[in-house]
Amino acid sequence: MKYELVAGFETHVELQTNTKIFCSCTTKFGGDPNTHCCPVCIGLPGTLPKLNERVVEYAIMAGLATNCEIAEIAKMDRKNYCYPDLPKAYQISQYDKPLCEHGYIALSNGRKIRILRIHIEEDAGKLIHNHGDTYVDYNRGGVPLIEIVTEPDFRSIDEAKEYVEKLQQIMRYIGVSDCRMQEGSMRCDVNISVRPEGSEKLGTRTEIKNMNSITNIAKAMEYEFERQVDLIENGGEVVQETLRYDDATGTTSSMRSKEDAHDYRYFREPDLVTINVPRERVEEIKARLPELPESKLRRYVEDYEIPEKDAAQLTKYRSISEYFDKASEGLKSPKTASNFIIGQIFRRLVTEADKEAFDIKTSADQLNELCKLLESGKLKNNLAKTALDKMLDTGKPVTEFVSESDMAGLDDATLTEYCQNAINAMSAAVADYKSGKEKALMAVLGNVMKQSRGRADAASVTKKLKELIG
Amino acid sequence: MGQIKRIHDMLISGEISCVELTKKYLEAIKNSNKELNAYITVTPEVALAQAEAVDKKIANGEEIGLLEGIPMTLKDNISTKGIETTCASKILTGYKPIYDATVYELLQKEGVVMLGKANMDEFAMGSSCETSYYGGAKNPHSLDHVAGGSSGGVASAVGGNLAVYGLGSDTGGSIRQPASFCGIVGLKPTYGAVSRYGLIAYASSFDQIGPITQDVEDAAIVFDAIAKYDERDSTSQGSKPAAPTLNDDIKGRKIGIANQYLDGVREDVKQAVLDAAKAYEDMGAEIVYFDLPELKFALPCYYILAMAEASSNLGRYDGIRYGYKAEHYNGTHDMICRTRSEGFGKEVQRRILMGTYVLSAGYYDAYYKKAVNLRGAIVEAFDRAFELCDAILAPTAPVTAFKNGYLFGEETDQIEQYLSDICTVPVNTAGLPAVSVPCGVDGEGLPIGMQLIGKKFDEKTILNLAYKYEQAEDKRIETKWGVKL
Amino acid sequence: MVTREDIENIALLSKLFVDEKDLDSLTEEMQKIVAFADTINNVEVKTGEFDNINNLSNAFRKDEVKESLPVEEILKNAPEQAEDHFLVRKRA
Repeated sequence: MKYELVAGFETHVELQTNTKIFCSCTTKFGGDPNTHCCPVCIGLPGTLPKLNERVVEYAIMAGLATNCEIAEIAKMDRKNYCYPDLPKAYQISQYDKPLCEHGYIALSNGRKIRILRIHIEEDAGKLIHNHGDTYVDYNRGGVPLIEIVTEPDFRSIDEAKEYVEKLQQIMRYIGVSDCRMQEGSMRCDVNISVRPEGSEKLGTRTEIKNMNSITNIAKAMEYEFERQVDLIENGGEVVQETLRYDDATGTTSSMRSKEDAHDYRYFREPDLVTINVPRERVEEIKARLPELPESKLRRYVEDYEIPEKDAAQLTKYRSISEYFDKASEGLKSPKTASNFIIGQIFRRLVTEADKEAFDIKTSADQLNELCKLLESGKLKNNLAKTALDKMLDTGKPVTEFVSESDMAGLDDATLTEYCQNAINAMSAAVADYKSGKEKALMAVLGNVMKQSRGRADAASVTKKLKELIG
Repeated sequence: MGQIKRIHDMLISGEISCVELTKKYLEAIKNSNKELNAYITVTPEVALAQAEAVDKKIANGEEIGLLEGIPMTLKDNISTKGIETTCASKILTGYKPIYDATVYELLQKEGVVMLGKANMDEFAMGSSCETSYYGGAKNPHSLDHVAGGSSGGVASAVGGNLAVYGLGSDTGGSIRQPASFCGIVGLKPTYGAVSRYGLIAYASSFDQIGPITQDVEDAAIVFDAIAKYDERDSTSQGSKPAAPTLNDDIKGRKIGIANQYLDGVREDVKQAVLDAAKAYEDMGAEIVYFDLPELKFALPCYYILAMAEASSNLGRYDGIRYGYKAEHYNGTHDMICRTRSEGFGKEVQRRILMGTYVLSAGYYDAYYKKAVNLRGAIVEAFDRAFELCDAILAPTAPVTAFKNGYLFGEETDQIEQYLSDICTVPVNTAGLPAVSVPCGVDGEGLPIGMQLIGKKFDEKTILNLAYKYEQAEDKRIETKWGVKL
Repeated sequence: MVTREDIENIALLSKLFVDEKDLDSLTEEMQKIVAFADTINNVEVKTGEFDNINNLSNAFRKDEVKESLPVEEILKNAPEQAEDHFLVRKRA
């Protein structure tokens, strides 16, 4: 029998606010242990939370960017469980009135992954276990999170991978999170079940935690899918449980222990008041939202006639697409700028991190100037390429590397002179051309270009050569 | 003239220096605290340093505020930086907060002299102060009787002249009932009038800090000093000042009596309250009677919600960051369970368990959710009542001070203990202000108290009414304890 | 009806140990409190949803960093600490 994978995602994304969700301590990653702490975020008796307004704003941005409805009225709740990394023994979260609901992210295969909800909550501290002793650091405690919960809409691992990439891309675009899985600023839990292909009924699901890269998510899902299918085929039954993915062995194992009975006893957080989101506020945030990657990609492909593959590269990071938008401003063919970026510029940005940082010496305006010279025919292509390399090395504008005479091109007399020189020097090639070998003219053209040090433009040289050869 | 103003005049006239005054109180505490058990921690160094600063100002001819240099006490659930704050629980043994509660910050700006931290029921859970890990505070009118609870230590100290005034907290009656038992004045402000920042939580949506004083004028002065908006408490709003209108004429004021408030109240207590109503009529106020049937479910509603919130608020005591930690254990989970089982007293554990129960899966709807809805109904019922009157007059407690050990005696069961809060909890459930003032003495010489309940953020009306009553019918009785000025 | 299992379950959730010998008396006590709480179940209420006591909304804080406390202050009350961390030793 063939089996189908059914999966859903719960993704925690750390928000890039300056301060924690309920106190004014910094959210900076790292730092010496327990140095980003105050009475509030270590849960001292008598302290009270005060909600960071930017957390609400960022969550609304995330909701709008994923096509969610934004709640008019939301509230905070306590999720009670006792663990040393949780200083109050409850996490302030949202239970039945989250900020955002009913959104989706569209995949390239045309399917939509439905987003059930996005809510705000606080992160826990960090535990370090050492020979049975437990060391606790609360620097991360109280860092704001959004949790993005999908419906069980995934049917393949490829879909899961694309979803995570898209989610990362969107969150980075709107600037609410850096979504670094290695640093834990984005964490995915996956619910997985299997069912015979064609069946509508959902199977018993397991939840996998602790995967710190997209590769690991794919590996863990694959392992868990096989495990469940094997189990069922051999007459066994899937047990609903939480699993931990072990990177070293590539396997999942149960996280259950007798000590954690799970009953979160959610109830309204009495120390915080209702969150009221007027519709004007939503509109105002929507207006400030940058153009999202999906829409940019469509614009590049449809309006600019940039190949989809190139457009995908341009839109992968907001920094690149913004650079491109500026560099291509007013160009007849924005593709000119795109080619420079994906060709010469990308050659200098080796890693993905380099590309995302997009730290180059040439400004978008400078590239724009270069492209405009090229489009106007003042600057020839090969000269432009040489100039761009120098620009990227020095950060200086194109005019530093190309003289007036370079840009002026060749007058007709000089062009005729160069062409005549070439015809004289390359009689064999000229003969070949005359006998019908069209390609032979290229060699003659090359000679002219050489003489002109690149200032000649290929079209007019060809025309002149044909004229002279007759 | 009120006690605070009287002492203020003595200070500025030079009749007594602030250090001398403070030493008198410290001496009295030394002599009497063994019997009254009002204080858990006495802070002579803090108090004397604060007093010296006040004397210096007076010597320099600077003006001092009304509360400046007045020796007072704080209930031991109000956080004080560097000063042990125990909530009368073993689990907070040795805990010295690293920050000050907002109310203490405000009072420090006023030039307070803080004598020490007052005894209470453990985590404010109790009505007799007897759940204190340090033993209960005694009633200054009779050592055989309790001071009441949970702010029993503050009431005992103020009633026994071991402090001029104090701050308590009132979750279900914990300011008013001990004030009533000790024959003094206690004001529970509107929920949100006073910042809760630094008040160690029992039930967050009920808790409110307020003054316990020797007279109504003092209550108004202290209230005006602490009822300020605090950006650190999302539920804080501040309130309108009450002192300026204390002496306003009350002619034509409507005072309501809800019949249900008199049900099950001991006859002499009921009579004292009705006598007070008569006194008000004599002063030109109008008495209106009505029914408030919702009162009968205020008590279970309150206990369900308060215990639920408490079970969550008290989850943090795990032996990791502060306070008591079990000595022998095996692993983190075991450490946490042992710490909590050894560190919390029996009543606290009982309320945590009950709170956990009403929130747990399968019971949430029947108890917690239902109680929240009832709370809404109680709020609405009071709203309707206040269309008929400006304030409601009721007994503060159905009885006078309990005999020591009565609440936890063999013949008293749990529910009877909770029932003793029947007159006080409706106010907390609806978030209203109420002030308790002495209105009589029972056959054993124990004080009887009545409370005036007001509209939200209308402390000034109930304090005005209370002040006029106190002026006309002073029912306060002297005790043999403490500083006589 | 409160059962012994209920008590064991809520004790585990509450991180409290209940002595085997106290289990029966505690169950009985809790049953009484629950019966008391049950009195609200006969009450019919017609009321709008209760929000918060003063119907407040939108109490926010600006996203501006304030200095955190020194680690010595943060750890001041820790029963056990090591290397600037709160510490729970394994013991036993």
